[in-house]
Amino acid sequence: MAQFKAHSVLPGFNLALGYTLLYLSLIVLVPLSALFFKTATLGWGGFWEVASSDRVLSALRVTFVTSCAAAVVNVVFGLIVAWVLVRYRFFGKRVVDALVDLPFALPTAVAGITLATLYAPNGWIGQYFAEYDIKIAYTPLGIVVALTFIGLPFVVRTVQPVLEDVEAEVEEAAASLGAGRWAVFRRVIFPALYPALLTGFALAFARAIGEYGSVIFIAGNMPYISEIAPLLIVAKLEQYDYAGATAIAVLMLLISFGFLLTINALQWWVSRRGVR
Amino acid sequence: MSITIEHLNKQFGSYRALNDINLEVNSGELIALLGPSGCGKTSLLRIIGGLDVADSGSLLFHGEDVQQRDARERNVGFVFQHYALFRRMTVFENVAFGLRVKPKKERPSDAEIKRRVHELLSLVQLDYLADRYPAQLSGGQRQRIALARALAVEPKILLLDEPFGALDAQVRKELRRWLRRLHDELHITSIFVTHDQEEALEVADRVVVMNKGVIEQVGTPDEIYATPASPFVYQFIGNVNLFHSRDHASWTGQHGDAVAYTRPHDIDISHVQQDATALPVEVKLVRAIGSVVRVEVSTQNSSELIEIELSRERFELAPLANGDKVFIRPRQIRVFETGAQHELSAA
Repeated sequence: MAQFKAHSVLPGFNLALGYTLLYLSLIVLVPLSALFFKTATLGWGGFWEVASSDRVLSALRVTFVTSCAAAVVNVVFGLIVAWVLVRYRFFGKRVVDALVDLPFALPTAVAGITLATLYAPNGWIGQYFAEYDIKIAYTPLGIVVALTFIGLPFVVRTVQPVLEDVEAEVEEAAASLGAGRWAVFRRVIFPALYPALLTGFALAFARAIGEYGSVIFIAGNMPYISEIAPLLIVAKLEQYDYAGATAIAVLMLLISFGFLLTINALQWWVSRRGVR
Repeated sequence: MSITIEHLNKQFGSYRALNDINLEVNSGELIALLGPSGCGKTSLLRIIGGLDVADSGSLLFHGEDVQQRDARERNVGFVFQHYALFRRMTVFENVAFGLRVKPKKERPSDAEIKRRVHELLSLVQLDYLADRYPAQLSGGQRQRIALARALAVEPKILLLDEPFGALDAQVRKELRRWLRRLHDELHITSIFVTHDQEEALEVADRVVVMNKGVIEQVGTPDEIYATPASPFVYQFIGNVNLFHSRDHASWTGQHGDAVAYTRPHDIDISHVQQDATALPVEVKLVRAIGSVVRVEVSTQNSSELIEIELSRERFELAPLANGDKVFIRPRQIRVFETGAQHELSAA
């Protein structure tokens, strides 16, 4: 044990580490390994059958494409929201700030029903799009809307503190060196925000992949078009096909893991340049 | 490039930061804006640099009004107290920044940028740090990099906001001498803000003393020290003794209500009473500090202490001890009345 532990003045290392390992095992490791065990009962053949079925593949595609699209939208607009909240003072700023957290607090089913109503062809917002023959609710576009809604706070709340950390002086210095607004943003502010934006993206993306409640109300859930993978899992469960359900779950897990690993690697690479 | 400031005003809410400022800075001069915090010196600097906008008044560079010009169009180098370096860029990229953001037509080639940056880095004697990041440098090094970065775009005017304020005493002293030498080499019109009188007197060609949004005095360091224009300047620059006319009428003259100021080294001490104006006092404390001896004395009927500085030589000619009864007489004294001022030279 001794060689794993550097001497530290902080007390309680053994207790804290033991607790951490136990806690992580109970909460994360045990359920996840159960997932793999259950899937294993299918055997390779059975697993492959589930994994290669058209319906599963298209559901996975819908899930990951819409999640990625929503996360990208959130990165762009979340950055703008964070920018406004950090850089300007205006009446009602605190209210706007509180509003950002609303998607955290709202039950996702409520959000889904509300959004579906708003974006339906006869809804408040949907009617204007209907004029141009654009359907939002009950299409993959609707899924993106719902996922954008639930993912927004993740981006705003990760970018905000970092943006607060970029001193106005640095921007002034850049301006006095002759840089225009765009150059200041691109060369000074963006590099500082880049790691935080990546984290925000990863969080919003991961959250969107697992989202179920809000999506099923707005998606229309048409197989091959707007059916998401979590819904497929629930469908399999309802048919008592537990092994099939866990097989899809394992697939999602592996893909998500791959994505997050990539994002983390990217982040590590970015933050290696420029020591804070 | 010369700078002309006329009737400049700036208000922050109900707080008057600058009140009718008039100032002429000659081309190639090194000027210090000196004053306590909140006196408006930084506001003035920021307005000159285009980082703030004045409410009224005019600001001319070489006779040309620049108030409508943005900071980026003023060709002014700005150095901040806390360096404001770009954390995610190397030292090289920091210095190259001003060149890289130039419009395509004016932008030098990569080879040229490289040459210029290394030239500047050797000017600030930090060429060997080109590949480091700002976080890996000491405060003094960072400030020199900030200066190199500001100089990269060949500014006509250099503005420095408390450039040594965040550094420790030793580095400060070194850097301000270095700044002076650098200025003698480059001759860029420069203005630096400081609240440290020693710094201002040592480095600047001329010192502008500010207080509560107004300029109290403009002059060479010598003028500022020897002939302060107002009680504020007297008290802000160097040590000073105060004498109220009600207690020391023989020194202040026959004025009704006035205050006389005299520097600690402008007071003579004698063991015998030479004339009627000499004040009998008792020695309370004698302390040798380096090359000077500081003596604190007080009059019999008041507890106020008068500070006197003697050179070591003079002190050894006529040594003093605690409790000695002696007579003091100012060699130079300056009297300020409400409004008007009079200078009297005793002796």
